[in-house]
Amino acid sequence: MIEVKNLTKRYGSNVALDNVSFTVDEGTILGFLGPNGAGKSTAMNIITGYLSATEGSVTVSGYNTLDNPNEVKRLIGYLPEIPPLYVDMTVEEYLNFMYDLKKVKLPRKDHIKEICELTKISHVYKRLIGNLSKGYRQRVGIAQALLGNPPVLILDEPTVGLDPKQIIEIRELVTRLGRNHTIILSSHILSEIQAVCERVIIINNGRLVADGKTDTLAHELSADHRLIARISGPEDEVLHAVRALGHVVDVTSYGKKETGVYEYIIECDMDYDIRRDLFALLARKGWPLMLLRSTELTLEDIFLQITSSDASFIEHPAADEPDEEPAGDEKKEA
Amino acid sequence: MLAIAKREFKAFFSSPIGYVCVAVILALYGFFYYQALSFHSTDYLTNVFSTMTGYSLFIIPLITMRSFSEDRKNKTDQALLTAPVNVSSIVLGKFLACFSVYFIAMTMTLVPVVLMSTFSTPPWGVVFGNYIASLLCGAAMMSIGIYISSLTTSQIIAAVGTLVAAILLTMIDTLGSAVSVEFVQKVINWISFNARYYTFTQGVFDIPGVVYFISLCGVFVFLTARKIESRRWN
Repeated sequence: MIEVKNLTKRYGSNVALDNVSFTVDEGTILGFLGPNGAGKSTAMNIITGYLSATEGSVTVSGYNTLDNPNEVKRLIGYLPEIPPLYVDMTVEEYLNFMYDLKKVKLPRKDHIKEICELTKISHVYKRLIGNLSKGYRQRVGIAQALLGNPPVLILDEPTVGLDPKQIIEIRELVTRLGRNHTIILSSHILSEIQAVCERVIIINNGRLVADGKTDTLAHELSADHRLIARISGPEDEVLHAVRALGHVVDVTSYGKKETGVYEYIIECDMDYDIRRDLFALLARKGWPLMLLRSTELTLEDIFLQITSSDASFIEHPAADEPDEEPAGDEKKEA
Repeated sequence: MLAIAKREFKAFFSSPIGYVCVAVILALYGFFYYQALSFHSTDYLTNVFSTMTGYSLFIIPLITMRSFSEDRKNKTDQALLTAPVNVSSIVLGKFLACFSVYFIAMTMTLVPVVLMSTFSTPPWGVVFGNYIASLLCGAAMMSIGIYISSLTTSQIIAAVGTLVAAILLTMIDTLGSAVSVEFVQKVINWISFNARYYTFTQGVFDIPGVVYFISLCGVFVFLTARKIESRRWN
């Protein structure tokens, strides 16, 4: 559906986007994650044709943004970071204007009414946009993006500045729209991406640093697959017994955490799940397992790790690959 | 294009700016009309129109100052530029809206002439010559104003810039007579709005003049579109 190839954008000597490539399949909700100033908005502006890339190309449904800009623009509904609203118009006037501007062919009255109901702005329909609160303005912005029922929606930080209730409502709306739209959504809020998106792309300093399914990205990017276990039992004996298990590479004790309970870090072979064996062992020995968790990174950890020390993270072999590879893998999986 | 023209036109009259501009032009007209009637007994029209057109060139910056600078400042240009329309039709839409405001004002100045025609026979050739010349002159000035507004996000700078351009264009004749080089004089006379305007005031429909003013509009509409287009690349 959307294919972004080697996108580079320079503002003078400042590189806003550096060789970013990815594809989005039809019907996917893709999350764009990155700290402020990472290049998320720039990438979105290029896809929608508001900006042009210094190098690289964007194709939407087979149309190139440079060769057929109007065809591409017809396919995309765009909510920029600051909703492009005319404060001197009422919601009604504005939506009718956008309807004309986008040359929508659907029946005007019914279509606008349907969108107003979807975005819950029917009761402010006759009011001046300048008098609406931020949350309602955001919704009018989303309504504007939905006009003409474009197959692709690009939403730049749709929930920024909203109260928690509104955030939940907008998220629900996005999830609902995701059933029959391809959506790219940007955010610097992790929980939002995790709640809404199937796939996530992390951008930092203009570079694509991670790309994968929201659920598995953490697993893929974690360099180590270690378990933290708290076991109630004599320290030395537990160490000895666990070390004796097959596939275990190393076990270290982290000392006493509760009375009679010690914490251990268990490292095992990369592609082996040790948990069943461990449970069986402890049950046999009569040592209660008090806690067991993986040291695997959460999306939050990954984000912080990538964005706070980009260079050191890239040096990491497991993290270096996602730069090019998972984009291809994703395609195959999907 | 029409959607944008309609919106922009409405915007002029949903804020005081449209009314103020029309009112000021009409007030100027009324004042010069009154003056002409009280001091001269004949050939008042050319006087009234040409003085007024000279002054209304200073009102035009107020009409055009917001056209692109406001859009860019409020980021509403993102809606326009990501919609399936060409940049040139966006510019033309804005131009049409600005021109409509001016057109309304200018057309209303015909009211006294129409009233006059009930008890006398005005020289219609001169009347329409003046009217058309004012429209053409204003349209050309407007295209320059719109171009200047596309260069900045500040309405004030756009207005002042257009004002300076308007002053230069009115002063250029004086400059022409001050320079002794014949070639420069020729160029200045060619550029001069006043010289071209003058032909119309005689009741002559001057085709080169029409072509000049319309081409000027075309050039500046084109330049504005290129300017907006080029912003995508920077």
